[in-house]
Amino acid sequence: MEYFAPKSIAEALSLLERYGGEAKVIAGGTDVMVDIKYKEEPGCLINIKAIGGLAGIKENNGGVRIGPLTTIRDLETSALIRDKLPVLWEAAHQFASLQIRNTATIGGNICRASPSGETLTPLLVLEASGNIAFSDKETAEPFINFFSGPGKTTLGAKGLLTAIDVPYPAAESRGVYLKHAVRGAMDIAMVGVAVLITPDAAKKAVRDVRIGLGAVAPTPIRAAKAEASLRGKPLTPALLKQAAELAASEASPIDDQRSSAEYRRWIVEALTRRGLAQSWKAATGKEAV
Amino acid sequence: MSFTINATINDKKVSASTEASTSLLEFLRDTLEMKGTKLCCNTGECGACTIIFNGKPINSCVTLAADADGATITTIEGLADGANLHAVQQAFIDTGAVQCGYCTPGYIMSVAALLDRTAKPTAEDIEEAVSGNICRCTGYAKIVDAIHLAADRLSGRA
Ligand SMILES: Cc1cc2nc3c(=O)[nH]c(=O)nc-3n(C[C@H](O)[C@H](O)[C@H](O)COP(=O)(O)OP(=O)(O)OC[C@H]3O[C@@H](n4cnc5c(N)ncnc54)[C@H](O)[C@@H]3O)c2cc1C
Repeated sequence: MEYFAPKSIAEALSLLERYGGEAKVIAGGTDVMVDIKYKEEPGCLINIKAIGGLAGIKENNGGVRIGPLTTIRDLETSALIRDKLPVLWEAAHQFASLQIRNTATIGGNICRASPSGETLTPLLVLEASGNIAFSDKETAEPFINFFSGPGKTTLGAKGLLTAIDVPYPAAESRGVYLKHAVRGAMDIAMVGVAVLITPDAAKKAVRDVRIGLGAVAPTPIRAAKAEASLRGKPLTPALLKQAAELAASEASPIDDQRSSAEYRRWIVEALTRRGLAQSWKAATGKEAV
Repeated sequence: MSFTINATINDKKVSASTEASTSLLEFLRDTLEMKGTKLCCNTGECGACTIIFNGKPINSCVTLAADADGATITTIEGLADGANLHAVQQAFIDTGAVQCGYCTPGYIMSVAALLDRTAKPTAEDIEEAVSGNICRCTGYAKIVDAIHLAADRLSGRA
């Protein structure tokens, strides 16, 4: 196996261009090392940790710019993330163990494109985008268009994620990230649900709502029908229940060793209902009536 | 493809060559023959391979050896001061927190890192610090006792 530790983005991109499908980018390595040990070694490993400026969290016109090498622990211990993007903070906080959080990066979590990737549903409901670079072009891509299947993204074999831009949600909005897993700290989510809700000025009706579902489809998804069923309406218990059922119907979970598809659908419904109720209460100070 | 790693391990400068696919755990155990850090799941789940890397506890099994270049590392071999055990090691012995002992080095590194961060850890801090370490013998209660005892001794409360 060949090994490179490029010092700049340009150098990394030209290596990716040269080695293409043979190459594997490595950041924290918590996914890649397991693949090397248990699946297969790539022809060439490109360690991006020597590239300067790819870690860090900064306020950036109306939002936060996060470097892809920022660790999950750095997100969890960032006062800015906790204060301004609590849905993302919650996902970082519930992510694996301290040892893994100290090593795993947000860029690795995104580029791994696991349907259960902890930070992905928060990024979808926050309508975040990635700065993606190839040797001949660079684009800003909303994450909703970024994932194409388990482990598959628009980066293909030659792209690099160079920044994550997360706009601040409306000041009146509130949200939650709920993870269902067997062994709290260490388990990959069986289902993950991120909710962000914004009430209208009278705190009566739903002005905007976003629901992200993880681990229940080939990619993390937004529950578009459930969201549409709520927008502009007062949040009654009946509406809430119906939206949760719609979200469950939008999921296309699989049976695996962690749980059956049917069970996952039940959990989507329960977590969506709970997430909406909790977020509404946090945003309005009232229960859904 | 092999290359040289220069790191500071347990306060000593170390220079050794390794292969690109080598994990930091393999580098410690097989290249440097430091067998205190344990190989168990090799997937980052059990914590037996925990070391302190640039001040933070990490799983050495899922870290690239190449990342150790320029790093400062503490392993279980680096905690005792000659014949004097580190407070965490002594507390594990005194409370009977060791049974088969295989998970112990990893636990001790997680706890040493915890007590470096916080002199008086809460129950929640303790749970967070060792949630990435698995012990199949003790049932955990004595490990938690050991952590409290070490914290008390280190801060002069016991
Ligand atoms: C014990 C254990 C527990 C875990 N628990 C969780 C959990 O609770 N929740 C969760 O979501 N995940 C979990 N994971 C998975 C993993 O830790 C995360 O996906 C992590 O965020 C990956 O980040 P990394 O930096 O380690 O990535 P790496 O392993 O270095 O890379 C992951 C993938 O991303 C690519 N990549 C990395 N950075 C870039 C970039 N900037 N541009 C292009 N491609 C890039 C790599 O080529 C690779 O395909 C766990 C893993 C382990 C071993």
